Amino acid sequence: MASLRDLFWTNPEFIRHRRAELRPARALTAALVVIAICGLIALACWSFQESELARAQAGLQAYGTEAWKHWVDTIEKNFAQKTWLLFYRWLIGIQGIALTFWTLFSCAQSVSGERDRKTWEFQRTTRLTSAEILTGKLLGEPVLLYFSMLCATPITIVAGIAGGLSVGTVLSVWLFFLTTALLLGLAGMWLSTLLESRTRGVGLIGALGIYGGVLAIYGMRESGLPGMAALSPLSAIISLLGADPSPSRPELAPVLFGREVPWLVMNLLLCLLIGTWLVVMLVRNLKRDYPEIRPLSRWQAVGCGASLNFLIYALLQPGRANSIEGHAGWFADAKSVAVFAVAMNGLILFLVGLATLTPQERLKVWQRRRNLGQSRIFADDGLSWPWLGMSAVVAYGLMIWGLLAWDHSLPLESRTLQTAAVQLLLVAVFVTRDVLFLQWCMLTRLRQPVVKGFMFLCLYYAAAAVIATLATVMSANVGSWAVALLTPVGAFDPKVTGAAFPAPTYVGLAFQVGVIGLMLVAISSRLQRPAQVGAAA
Amino acid sequence: MESRAAMIELVNLRKEYDNVLAVDDLSLAIPQGEIFGLIGPNGAGKTTTIRMASGLLAPTTGRAMIAGVNVAEEPERAQKNIGYLSDFFAVYEDLKVWEYLDYFAHAYKMPEADIPARVTEVIAQVNLEVKRDAMIRGLSRGMKQRLGIARAIIHRPKVMLLDEPASGLDPKARLELRNLLRSLRDQGATILISSHILTELEGFCTAIGIMEKGRMVRSGSIEQVTAAASSTRLVRMSWVGDALTAAEEKLKSDPRVSEVTFTPGGGTFRFSGGEEDLAPVLASLIAGNVQVTWFGEVKQTVEEVYMKLSTHEVM
Repeated sequence: MASLRDLFWTNPEFIRHRRAELRPARALTAALVVIAICGLIALACWSFQESELARAQAGLQAYGTEAWKHWVDTIEKNFAQKTWLLFYRWLIGIQGIALTFWTLFSCAQSVSGERDRKTWEFQRTTRLTSAEILTGKLLGEPVLLYFSMLCATPITIVAGIAGGLSVGTVLSVWLFFLTTALLLGLAGMWLSTLLESRTRGVGLIGALGIYGGVLAIYGMRESGLPGMAALSPLSAIISLLGADPSPSRPELAPVLFGREVPWLVMNLLLCLLIGTWLVVMLVRNLKRDYPEIRPLSRWQAVGCGASLNFLIYALLQPGRANSIEGHAGWFADAKSVAVFAVAMNGLILFLVGLATLTPQERLKVWQRRRNLGQSRIFADDGLSWPWLGMSAVVAYGLMIWGLLAWDHSLPLESRTLQTAAVQLLLVAVFVTRDVLFLQWCMLTRLRQPVVKGFMFLCLYYAAAAVIATLATVMSANVGSWAVALLTPVGAFDPKVTGAAFPAPTYVGLAFQVGVIGLMLVAISSRLQRPAQVGAAA
Repeated sequence: MESRAAMIELVNLRKEYDNVLAVDDLSLAIPQGEIFGLIGPNGAGKTTTIRMASGLLAPTTGRAMIAGVNVAEEPERAQKNIGYLSDFFAVYEDLKVWEYLDYFAHAYKMPEADIPARVTEVIAQVNLEVKRDAMIRGLSRGMKQRLGIARAIIHRPKVMLLDEPASGLDPKARLELRNLLRSLRDQGATILISSHILTELEGFCTAIGIMEKGRMVRSGSIEQVTAAASSTRLVRMSWVGDALTAAEEKLKSDPRVSEVTFTPGGGTFRFSGGEEDLAPVLASLIAGNVQVTWFGEVKQTVEEVYMKLSTHEVM
């Protein structure tokens, strides 16, 4: 209990923020502003209901029908409750958006801001652990907002209950927002550790991207992975408050292993899973010097890849009807699930590769030790390709497990597994090549080598798309060779069954393995270069 | 130097940045109570060495031990004994002076009961009593620098790692810093300080190390380093009256004397013997009717030694 108290309430970093941002005058001003805003919203809601009633009464006077009379009676009867509910929805909506937005943006400047002010080094030389700094910043950076929300809490509770909602629903909505806000805060802090100083533009774009992504993820409610929408604060507002904009549609609920679960439970599960990985990355790296940052250890990266794969099969809802008419629905058969899993693994493997890039200095030491026979290929400081291979094998194992688990509704054929094996192999080879290219970029004198390397890769794929299109215009056969040699797209030919892929696919695979060999030689020769003594001034 | 337990021990420390070798196989042991001055030109590896010792940088190979604790392996335990000060004095502008020090006292996990008294004590030590409740953003640059020094010593560290701490300080603040460091040494602290202003270190360092191109070119007590820089002693003398011939005769008869030069009323020569061997030389001059008014060894300054080493006159 004492340690929990140390971690939160008596955390020096939290106290620092509390002292700096909640001085009595500022706290009083914030409280008064919050109360004033609440008052204005209440007046606006009352005015809206009044005008609604006035409209209905005008209609009744003009037409005098039973329907108008019923409408007027309904509004008059529920006037107070409807006004309170409207007031509550506005309050909680504003609080939800402010909480998630402010937490993300304040945390996204936490570490980079300290680097910019040059106070970060002094904090790193204290005895505060990474976990203590993380907790202090996560709770401390948005402390003014937490205080403002605290001021609005009694009003919100009264409004919710007077609006006819249960205490459980009111608390659930808060919990939902709080977990989403903490998750966004962690994401913002991770973004902040990746920025060398407070490059406001990059930080702003990154944070806006994260926020936009989280809001947009609401659209996944109607996808084959509806549970992912639980990360969006919109899901809480719409689902928990019964404010679905399309009530004519059947209730869309997330599923976990095929069973429907409440949105709040799904939100907690997702925040717990993703938040845990963010905490692992932050605790591991927060006190490290910038060039020493390595998001995850090798085993952690493999575990992270496996957990994301696991999530795909856990959240899957095969055959979920799509709103587009005539569409067979998401994941109508095992083959479509396998193709989706392979495509997702392209992304997951790339993320694993990014997380396992090794700084030049560490890689050099590993190479020297390897030359002396003192380190292994599967080392924490070595190259990432063996771990990408391992992640791909784990992903394939989970795919077999996932497809077998859904066998009752999506009958599985062995040919599907054969096709998926070749597809995953091809994707893994391309990802390995790209990750090794990024690793090579890190050994050059490029500034921001990973960002620039990533841009080069984007240019490569854009160029490959243009070449493949031109080749296809010339001849379909030449086009298929170009696609197979330069991209992994050839592996996703829907006409293929089993492992009977056309020859260009296998030739392309062999070609990319050759490119990987060349990348390894290039990296090795870079690592052999001796370090030069710096020029003293 | 090695007889006392080393408070700062750097063992085969090496740091590579990309393709640049910043520190090359550096080993150093500094016993308790020593003020060790690290000197060298910009880019010699002084800052990198101090940053590795303070745990801010992970060494490529080798290890840094502070009070017997490996900084890379147990950073939080090692930080208990480290006070770090760099050439910039960044502070949290939105706090009050006492809040700033209170924050760091808690961050260094000092006993809760000791903190208020220690904050008051340190504020007095850096002469900021009247600004105790003032916001930091309202302090002058010099005051902020003093506050930075107070931060570094708030937890009574056994080891101080100071990277060019006097750069940007005015002469008065430099003197105050020097006095503060002396008092810390008197309290038993071990200090590793880097600077390229050699006169700044000469007055109060008990030992120095000269770094160049990532390597420690020479280290030891100031006497050892200056003595090792030259195999002979430079002796200056002066006399009254006309004693040039007598002095020349006596000096040239001693095989350990060389490079004799005379000026009106005195001269200098190089002597290859020990300090105790100089007494007979003086006695022989006096016996030869040279009325000596001054006779003594001219000690080399650290600056002279450093210049010799950096121009490779001595290696």
